[in-house]
Amino acid sequence: MGNLGANARLKLGLWLLLMPLGLWLLLLIILPHFELLIFSITDPEDGAFTFEFYFEFFTEPLYWRTFLRTAVMSILATILTLIIAFPVAFYIAKMLKGRSKGIVFAMCLIPFWVSELVRTFGWMILLRESGVISNFLQWSGLAAGPVELLYTDATIMLGLVYSSMLFMVVPLVSTLDSLDDSYIEAGYDLGGTNWNVIREIVIPHAIPGIVSGCIIVFMLSLGNYLTPVLLGGKDSLWFTEQIYTQFITRFNWEQGSAFGLLLLVLSSLIVWLGLKASGQSFTKTMG
Amino acid sequence: MKKINILSLAVLLASGLATTAQATQELRLLTWGGYAPKEVVELFEKETGIKVKVTKSNNEEMISKLKATRGAGFDLVQPSQDRVASAQKAFKIYKPMDLSKIDSSQFIDSMLAATKGQSTVDGEVYAVPHVWGSSGLIVNRAIAADIKDYTDLCKPAYAGKVTYRLKRPTLIGFAFAMGEDPFAAYGDADKYKQIMEKVGKKLTECKANVKAYWSGGDALLSLMRSGETTAAMAWDAGGWKLNRDNADITFVAPTSGALGWIDTFVLPRKTKNEAAAYQWINFVMRPDIAAKITASAGNFTASKGSDDFVDAKAKAQYQESFSAKDIDNIKWYPPVPAGLEKIEGKILDRIKAS
Amino acid sequence: MSKHCKIDLACENISKHFSGFTAVDNVSFTIPKGSFFSILGPSGCGKTTLLRMLAGFESPSSGDILIKQQSMLDVPPNKRPVNMVFQHLALFPTMNVEQNIGYGLRRQGVAKAEITERVAAVLARVGLADSGKKRVEQLSGGQRQRIALARCLVLNPTLLLLDEPLGALDLKLREQMKIELKSLQKEFGTTFVYITHDQSEALVMSDQIAVMNKGKFEQVGTPHQLYYQPETAFVAGFVGDSNRWHGTIISVDDSSLMLKTDDGLSFRAKVAVEQKLEKGAKVEVFVRPEAINVSRTAHSEDDNQLTCTVQTLLFDGANSQIIALEPNSGGKITVAMPQTSDFVDLKTGDQLFLNWSAAQTLGFLVESENLVSAVGA
Repeated sequence: MGNLGANARLKLGLWLLLMPLGLWLLLLIILPHFELLIFSITDPEDGAFTFEFYFEFFTEPLYWRTFLRTAVMSILATILTLIIAFPVAFYIAKMLKGRSKGIVFAMCLIPFWVSELVRTFGWMILLRESGVISNFLQWSGLAAGPVELLYTDATIMLGLVYSSMLFMVVPLVSTLDSLDDSYIEAGYDLGGTNWNVIREIVIPHAIPGIVSGCIIVFMLSLGNYLTPVLLGGKDSLWFTEQIYTQFITRFNWEQGSAFGLLLLVLSSLIVWLGLKASGQSFTKTMG
Repeated sequence: MKKINILSLAVLLASGLATTAQATQELRLLTWGGYAPKEVVELFEKETGIKVKVTKSNNEEMISKLKATRGAGFDLVQPSQDRVASAQKAFKIYKPMDLSKIDSSQFIDSMLAATKGQSTVDGEVYAVPHVWGSSGLIVNRAIAADIKDYTDLCKPAYAGKVTYRLKRPTLIGFAFAMGEDPFAAYGDADKYKQIMEKVGKKLTECKANVKAYWSGGDALLSLMRSGETTAAMAWDAGGWKLNRDNADITFVAPTSGALGWIDTFVLPRKTKNEAAAYQWINFVMRPDIAAKITASAGNFTASKGSDDFVDAKAKAQYQESFSAKDIDNIKWYPPVPAGLEKIEGKILDRIKAS
Repeated sequence: MSKHCKIDLACENISKHFSGFTAVDNVSFTIPKGSFFSILGPSGCGKTTLLRMLAGFESPSSGDILIKQQSMLDVPPNKRPVNMVFQHLALFPTMNVEQNIGYGLRRQGVAKAEITERVAAVLARVGLADSGKKRVEQLSGGQRQRIALARCLVLNPTLLLLDEPLGALDLKLREQMKIELKSLQKEFGTTFVYITHDQSEALVMSDQIAVMNKGKFEQVGTPHQLYYQPETAFVAGFVGDSNRWHGTIISVDDSSLMLKTDDGLSFRAKVAVEQKLEKGAKVEVFVRPEAINVSRTAHSEDDNQLTCTVQTLLFDGANSQIIALEPNSGGKITVAMPQTSDFVDLKTGDQLFLNWSAAQTLGFLVESENLVSAVGA
């Protein structure tokens, strides 16, 4: 009897513990998306059920091309971030010890103490035609006239990689930290070169970190708004910008909702395909 | 005599009580940058005891915000005159004005009448005018003196040196410069679409000339100030602000006409402090206060007699930009009928994607 | 390599200094081909650093390492004819058994078919012929040991380094693996360099043992030599169990000396190595418990004789010991309990007669620095 009571209390405790998570999921994730769904399939004129806003996405090349461009750029940004972050993470996790490790890790964090807007403006000050780098190039005689480094796809890429870096470095450092040095030494001891120790021992071990870092960076890039809009200039097309435009300047909430849900579904699809292609599963990565 | 004294004492007492009661009151104002400068807010708070919480925004965001909350969250908003009647018809987000609470003697009569007329829905007036201004060209005259109209921005000589917004005023401005009258076509969706497609084609061709589409006032100012661009389509106040630092740069009224707008006062449907809203309107329309707003925003107000308080430089700039003919030529935005935004949106998306 | 090349590894005066301390201090030794060489020492004695220098993970501050008479100083770890079995084995968890063993062969560019063949052969030799497809975590501790060995041995290294690989095993398995390691070493004929802090592992398996302390080799010799003829007090104390006393020399004659321990016992002892011993010098004395003859009835003739009472009985089967008390002085001595019928009913307080020879009583002169600690104690 007493046992049963304790059990029931335990259950109640568990429910109470789960409550904030449950409420958070319900109020901030499920309900808003449910509302988006309702919006996206309702005709604003007569309130009837309609799929026109989804058709619009697939029939108007402008929209799906924008999505495709956003997805491809995000994938590229993810790959670039991985390539740059991996040596950094390896250096932090394996080469540095004690204090210097903490310092270098903190240096990676510093850019995130200011808001994304400020960071982006920082890049604009550096890269614009009348900016720091352009002036330096002219002063040093490397360039004859002002150099415009802003408003290109490469600039967007730079901004995306820069703002995603930390989110790749952190999971990589934590998985690489858990790789005992003796595995690396064993790799060398058995005749491995740098490259195949990395490829056969370090990377297979770091796969969970690589996959979770990639998912985070991809989703962040895809959902980024400020960086592509501010750094991209006149040709920057970003799907989130399209959603913002539909909601705010067109007052077309129905279309915006449809785009928002499409972004969710299609990006999930891309992540799923990526996991399939790399032979990983979501539970394995997160577990 | 004695009677009057007692009466005035009572009024004084009542207002004193009201002041203390209002000590915790708040006016949530959704407005444009520069329309509620700190100095004016402080004067108002000192005089009435009402705290003013200012949120800066633009037309589209104002309407979107009110649409999202069905007219709640703010006590007073300031959309442009052409965005009042249409938004009210479509989303029912505003509340009619009680004109008896407003001191109409402080307004320039013609402007008040025009705004009242344009913001009347089902016999109710929804807006009174506040700040007015125009969109046109900001030109560095030392380099690009031959830019006289919007379409001149597309001249090959200025490739990579011009900037404008990718928004509806640009479409409208170019339409006028191309000899069309988009305002006349407001009621005819097909005709309007036809004009917009023509403008879209022109702007697509012109895209190579654009350095970047500016999106915020600060971005525009820094583009012009740094010399990265030599001509822009923008607001008059921006041109005058630049003129103070660099005499070569100023606002030029385009030959096809500057686009005139009036930003208004409107009550959101669920305003919580209507009384404070009226107090604010009457306060900022005082000529001396209005002049302070002109100094901060760069644009003139609908306040009668405020010109006397405006500094001479601002008046001179205004006169340099606008001849009498230019003023007659200003194209004032009529109320936007519902549905035009969709047509314009598609065109703007295509230009961006081209 | 020529036929007379019988020395696989030679270390010449190698030292390793880290900032602030010296891990390896001017060590020289040679290891003949095919032998099982152990480096025995307490933790922190520098044996791991020494091993890592042999593998190439550390480079010596001075001195030279020669493998088959070739200097290894400029040879990176992946080019040395040396393989290592790590303390925790470091079997790659992302690969199965076959892939683990084949890793080194793949690095050498061996053809696929040959890899398969050689992996299968080495698996058979370590007795795990059908485990090739298993994942590492499916193997037992002992099986992992054998896979780790096989992974190195398949490469036919000149030298196999083993870094206390048995440390993580439980006692029974460790006993079994000692024998297995020794027989695998014999079978493959590979030269093993084995480091450990467990003297029993070293004694059972090794052909030669180097006892290391504070970065230096105290003594190099066969297990038998180390056990019976320790050259230093450290070796005498570290290898095997001993009674250990501090004492003072009372008299010296040609063959032995007479001393008195600090807790009051008097013995006749032998001088372990050539040392200049004088009356009054401080010494450390070692007597192994099993060297002491125990009787319940009477003394037999011998150099040293004590009459004691049983203070404590430490029962441990065949390794049971008696702690005996010499009532006059209060000194204590540990002796091995004979497993004869006489002692079955031995109990605390019983009288015992102990006797042993001076030859089995080893005295070492206490160095001045040690003296301080001895006096302090």
